[in-house]
Parts: sequence; C-alpha cells; structure tokens
Amino acid sequence: MELSNIEKLLEKYFEGETTISEEKELKVYFTRETVPAHLERYKDLFQFFSQESTITATKDLKLNTRRKTRYAWVGVAASVALIAGIFLTNQPTKPDKNLGTYEDPEIALQETKKILNMVSQYMNEGKQELVYLKEFENTKNKFIK
Amino acid sequence: MREGAFITLTNGFKDKLFRLAKRLLVSNEEAEDATQEVLLKLWKNKSKMAEYKNVEAFAMTMTKNYCYDKLKAKETGNLKIVHSNYKDEQPSLQRQVEARDSLDWVGKIMDNLPEQQRMIIQLRDIEQYNNPEIAEMLGINETAVRVALSRGRKKIREALLKKHNYGVV
Repeated sequence: MELSNIEKLLEKYFEGETTISEEKELKVYFTRETVPAHLERYKDLFQFFSQESTITATKDLKLNTRRKTRYAWVGVAASVALIAGIFLTNQPTKPDKNLGTYEDPEIALQETKKILNMVSQYMNEGKQELVYLKEFENTKNKFIK
Repeated sequence: MREGAFITLTNGFKDKLFRLAKRLLVSNEEAEDATQEVLLKLWKNKSKMAEYKNVEAFAMTMTKNYCYDKLKAKETGNLKIVHSNYKDEQPSLQRQVEARDSLDWVGKIMDNLPEQQRMIIQLRDIEQYNNPEIAEMLGINETAVRVALSRGRKKIREALLKKHNYGVV
C-alpha cells in the first residue's frame, strides 16, 4: 500500500474514525519487516495489539457445581434420617401406670404387714449367720486381756 | 443447557474476558479469578441465558462490572496494593532484555491510561469489536466510545513519541 495512504489512515486512526477493516490493514502493514523510519514508532503499537490478542487464560473452568449440590442434599437427607431413626427407635418406654395401689385401707394394712414380716424374716435369717462372729470375739478375749 | 454446550459456547469468548480483566486488574491471578467468577455466575443463571440478546457482550459487561468492583474495593482499603505481580528488584538478564523490549513499553503506556480509555482500546484494537458493540457492553453511547478511543490513542501516540525521542515515558 502507498505510504501516503497509510499516513492518511493513521491520521484517521488517531481520530477514531477508521473502520475495523482499515485498522486490520494498518496492522498488516505494520507487522511487515520494513517500515519507513518516521513510522517506526507505530510498529510497536500495532505489534503490541496483535501480540496481546494471543494471550489466553490458563485455568480451566470447573462446572461440577450441580453434582456437588446434589450430593450435598443426599448428605443432609442421610443425617436427618439418622437422627430421626435414633429418636424414633429409642423412645423411652412409658412408666407403668399400675403401681399396685390398694383402694381399701384394710387390705392395704394387711399387705404392708405381710411385706414387713417378710423383710424381718429375711433379716433374722441373715442375722443367724452373724453368730459365728461371737466365736472370734471369744477367741480374741482368750489372748488379749 | 448442558455442561458441554456451555463450555463450547463460553470457550469462544473466555480468553477475551480474561484479557479484558487483565487489562483492568493488571495481575494475572486476579484476571483468572475474575474470568472464573464471571463464567460461574453465567452458569448459575443459565436458565435466563435465552433471554440475553448477545451472551458474549453480556459476559463482557459482567467482567467490566466485576473488575470495577474489585478496583473500587482496593481503593477503599487502607493498604493500597497496585497489583500483585511483584517483580524482582534485581532483574535477571532475561528481564533486562525484556524490559528493553519496546512492546513492553506500549503495555506500560496503556496501563497508565484512565480505565475507560484502556478498556475501549482493549475492546477495539485488540479484540476488534465495533463501536456499537462496545457501546452496548459499556453502557455508553457510540459518540462517547469514539471520543474516548481517539483520546486514548492520541495519548499512546504522545507517550510513544516521548519514549522514542528521550527514551522515557
């Protein structure tokens, strides 16, 4: 392309009035090997633009968000089920309402006597065994006076 | 929409999102995060995707807004960190060669432009969107796009001229 043409395009370029295709022409022109000395400084500019357009992002996008949330809900459901299971199966058994209460005081007295008799009978049986302890006492008194 | 279809759709403009984010945020890592964030947001709202006229332009707008938020958050913080691409104070030979690389100068000049001009030059000169598309993405009118474009380009030209004559920006 003619030099005068390029200069005209450059002027338009700095006024912001070039079209995209004219800018492409400029880019092609300035990426060539030889450029007149007075236009040398614009070479950097257009080469910079072409170089910058080749930069790419390096990180890969990971989109497994949906799967993640699905498994998260499974976890929530499992823990709810577990807690519910523990509380439902381990419910404390209700205390028996029947406490053996007697309505008639006469019968109640008799029954209480019976129970107390039984207790004292067992006490006495147990106490008989303690008779042997007296032998220890006797033996001890023989030696220590 | 299935995962595969979404990925093929977004792969068409994913790098453009990344480059725009990088132009605004400078840091590579932050730009990567911004891209991921925008794509994930898009994925979450995939049911509304059919309503968008132009998914790509919509995604670019989302990226722009995301980056603006990030920049604003940085400004309000007490500690001002310009960007996290920390460089070794004692550059290696390779770095010195790179610094001399004149293409780097253009990048540095661009980083000094106001955000909007930077973004418009990125979209126009690097991604080759036309002005109506850019106007739609940025939510401004076409004249404003053209004016900002011209101003930005002229600023770059001035800086390049200075650098050419004195070797400094």
